[in-house]
Amino acid sequence: MIYLLPSISATLGAILSFSLFRSKHKEASVLASFLALVFSIFLLFEPDRFTAFFYVDSLSKIFLLMISSVYLGVVIFSIGYLEHSHGHLVKSCQYFSLLDIFVGIMLFSVTLNNFGLFWVSIEATTFATALLVASENDIAALEAAWRYIMIVSVGLTIGLVGTLFLYSSAHTLSITDLLSRQNQGSLFFLSGMLLVIGYGTKIGIFPMYTWLPDAHGKAPAPISAIFSAVLLPVSLYPLIRFFEVYQDPSLSKFAFVLGFLSVMTGSIMTLNQRLYKRLFAYSSVENMGLSLIGVSLGSYALFGTIVLIFTHAFAKSGVFMLTGNMLHELKTRKIEDVKGLIKIMPKTGLFLFFGALAVTGTPPFATFFGELLIVSKTINYYGWIVGVALFFFLMCGFLFINYRVINMVFNDETKPVSSAKESPFTFVPVIFITLAAFVILIVPIFYRFIEGVIK
Amino acid sequence: MEKEIFALVGFWEIILSIFMQWQAYTISNIKTFSVQSWILGIFLLWAGVFHGFTALIILALLTIITRAIAMPLYLGNTIRKQIYRARENKHRISTGLSILISLLLAVFGYLVYYLILAGYGQSLVSIPITLMLQGAFLIVSRSNAYSQLIGYLVMENSMFLLSFLFSELPFIVEAGIILDVLGVVVVAGLLMRVRDEDIEKEEELLG
Amino acid sequence: MLNLFFLSILQLLYVFALAPLAVGILHVFDERLSSRRGPSIFQEYYNLFKFFRKQSIYPKTASGFFSYVPYITFGMYLFLTLVLPIITAFPLLFGPVVDFVGGGLVFGAASTFLKLASLDSRNSYSILGASRASSIGIFTEPIILLIFIMFGVISGTNNPYVINNILQTSTSWFFSLVHLFVGVAFFLVLIIETGQLPIESHTPNEFGSIDSLMSLEYSGRELALLKLGSYIKSFLLMNVFLNVFTLPFFVPMKFNILAIVLYMFINFLKIILLLAIFAIINNIVSKYRLFKIFDYILIAFSFALMAMVVFYVVNGG
Repeated sequence: MIYLLPSISATLGAILSFSLFRSKHKEASVLASFLALVFSIFLLFEPDRFTAFFYVDSLSKIFLLMISSVYLGVVIFSIGYLEHSHGHLVKSCQYFSLLDIFVGIMLFSVTLNNFGLFWVSIEATTFATALLVASENDIAALEAAWRYIMIVSVGLTIGLVGTLFLYSSAHTLSITDLLSRQNQGSLFFLSGMLLVIGYGTKIGIFPMYTWLPDAHGKAPAPISAIFSAVLLPVSLYPLIRFFEVYQDPSLSKFAFVLGFLSVMTGSIMTLNQRLYKRLFAYSSVENMGLSLIGVSLGSYALFGTIVLIFTHAFAKSGVFMLTGNMLHELKTRKIEDVKGLIKIMPKTGLFLFFGALAVTGTPPFATFFGELLIVSKTINYYGWIVGVALFFFLMCGFLFINYRVINMVFNDETKPVSSAKESPFTFVPVIFITLAAFVILIVPIFYRFIEGVIK
Repeated sequence: MEKEIFALVGFWEIILSIFMQWQAYTISNIKTFSVQSWILGIFLLWAGVFHGFTALIILALLTIITRAIAMPLYLGNTIRKQIYRARENKHRISTGLSILISLLLAVFGYLVYYLILAGYGQSLVSIPITLMLQGAFLIVSRSNAYSQLIGYLVMENSMFLLSFLFSELPFIVEAGIILDVLGVVVVAGLLMRVRDEDIEKEEELLG
Repeated sequence: MLNLFFLSILQLLYVFALAPLAVGILHVFDERLSSRRGPSIFQEYYNLFKFFRKQSIYPKTASGFFSYVPYITFGMYLFLTLVLPIITAFPLLFGPVVDFVGGGLVFGAASTFLKLASLDSRNSYSILGASRASSIGIFTEPIILLIFIMFGVISGTNNPYVINNILQTSTSWFFSLVHLFVGVAFFLVLIIETGQLPIESHTPNEFGSIDSLMSLEYSGRELALLKLGSYIKSFLLMNVFLNVFTLPFFVPMKFNILAIVLYMFINFLKIILLLAIFAIINNIVSKYRLFKIFDYILIAFSFALMAMVVFYVVNGG
């Protein structure tokens, strides 16, 4: 039960900000998220626990920490963001309430011991967030939210079929039982494929990633941040567990191909993006494809994935929050309209640059370390040609994104707009991107901590 | 006996989903979906009583209450406020062609069973697969939000048939699925009130 | 042998006598359901007698072929009357001549002659009707063929008598899903072939009519023969639908004169039941636009194809 504390505090925050303390919803949400973070840090030092309903090991604890820290940052940043925005679809208190319940579901889902309940909770996050995506309430936002809810629900239905096949071939859905028995048979394999496709829809894997740029591009900045940083990895979590209970070379190859294709699309599509939020959304597709590759390969590539996800969570959420600042001050979504950001908004510009470096995996950041592990395992497993191709596409993504960002930040042909001033909450993304830079220092501790999960 | 009844139920659901392709009026699609859910719910109820599974009976009642009564009522109320969307003027694919494709999907569903799933059970598996493909096709072939939502719900109905055929999922999971679907419908209904069609060319969603 | 010959004659007379009556009854049903009194059920006989007594006029542009066609088609329908199971479930004298596919071909030949004659008449409305009828016919033929194939699947033969006997005796086939779906498909096709309402309306304007346009230039005895022929065609099709497929019960399978006479009444009761269903449909639906008819045909086709899928799904696995 103790592992539910973060989730419970988030849910309580949702209830409080919607009902009793409607006028004080911001404070209630901040308190809830702060408590969730404190509990998550506290839980890091608790022993692992495997019961009928809960399966908590170091991996779950890291996910808990990641979710709740991004949660705190997003809640604080949302306070500043909502003062500027003019959405009419959801009121401020509803916004915070939905955000809290959404995070509560995610915190709940990573402690579970049941593949069916994974599905239920991940589907629950879909409809909890659809209104948040649409909260800007113009035609494009509504269409984006609609595509999000439709495509993801349909994809997850495929995942449900996979879960059903899993149950009918193993007669259990709990991870502990699945770990203790010998898993084989082609029905199991089929269920694995369907699960990869199904959850892959929500992660943003190749064939069904199309909702992702729309939703990320049109959602409010804090929501894009929490989507990209946390929701996608949480949807990856069941797949990590599944690959833990079932190692099969062909399934791993299948996941690898899908992951490779999404790295490819993600990096190529960044080339012709004209809106900066969509640019970073495609960067998420690329990173998630890489994570799926890592999960499919297992062993130290899995460790690389966890490092990648963790760093990416901080860096990408910081970047998305900064884009919110830009949207408010410059009133444009287009890349070409943003020039000389470093003069107009010094902090935003500088840290956007650092953040873009972090999400594309530049050496000082731990994302580079993660990508290095994954690519080296790929070379180990599939040979030089595939590895070099993967590296090539990563380089493409790196070049395209950083070229655009440098153009936005340092290219000052135009006169700076004098009236632009940064929101006081800019310190949140600044701290996040700085943290992302420091993750590299704790990687050895990380490794020690998570050693049990990686085989 | 049970096999025959399952085939009867399954094929009527398939026929009804072909019928949905024929309809131009969204409200009759909603009614058709309601009929489909009634058939499914009564079938589950019958199976539950026949085998004496309490969980199945509760599930059947939940199905009837949520899918056959609540959701059609909710969608019907939503559509009554936007009467201009009650009729779908242009389909992405012409009616005749979409009926034909639905039919081919039925053949394809059998082929999927025959080629992939033949080792795991009866050929009845092809019925839910067909229904699922048809639901997906309804989503793809229509631009009207209501029809798309109904397509999703048809897919969920087919999930219930499939889970009946394979071993029944644990009750907590099935109940969770029903709640999830309910949530999706409510949120989608909220979105639909304000959403408009024909925005394929929205600039911000390109690329 | 002689018995079979007399039974054939009996069957011919039965169809001859009752085909116009069936149409009259349908009209009365229609009118009653719309709260009107309608004509007498014998009105069609009066019409036919009137036409027989009138003088025939041919268009100046038409060739001799035009005047022969009513006799040819009428003869074909008479031939079909002799070979289909109507009052008996055992083959009569001419029964072994054709099977279902052959019967379908004779039906098709008759309608082709009609279309050619209507083209020959050079009346633009007749030509319109011919083109409508053939474009619908193109799409209904495959469905009919598919239905025959499913008959073949059920019985292993194309003989209508065998199919009737199998469905009469085997409850497992009668209550099977295949039978149900083929039955629905057949019913939908029957509505097309007999020209009932969702497809064709018999109002005087040219928008709704299809088959009735084709006989516009005929008059006198030829018109009477054409009309009688078309009544017989509908009657035969309804009989095939009922006796062979939907309600194959009570049809005498052994030679027994009492049973056959009794069955003649039962058969007409079945027909009246079907006519009542037609009348109800006529009163609750309106005519489809011409292009929507093809969607309707596709629905019929989907039932027929579904029957095939059902056969594989239920029996094949």
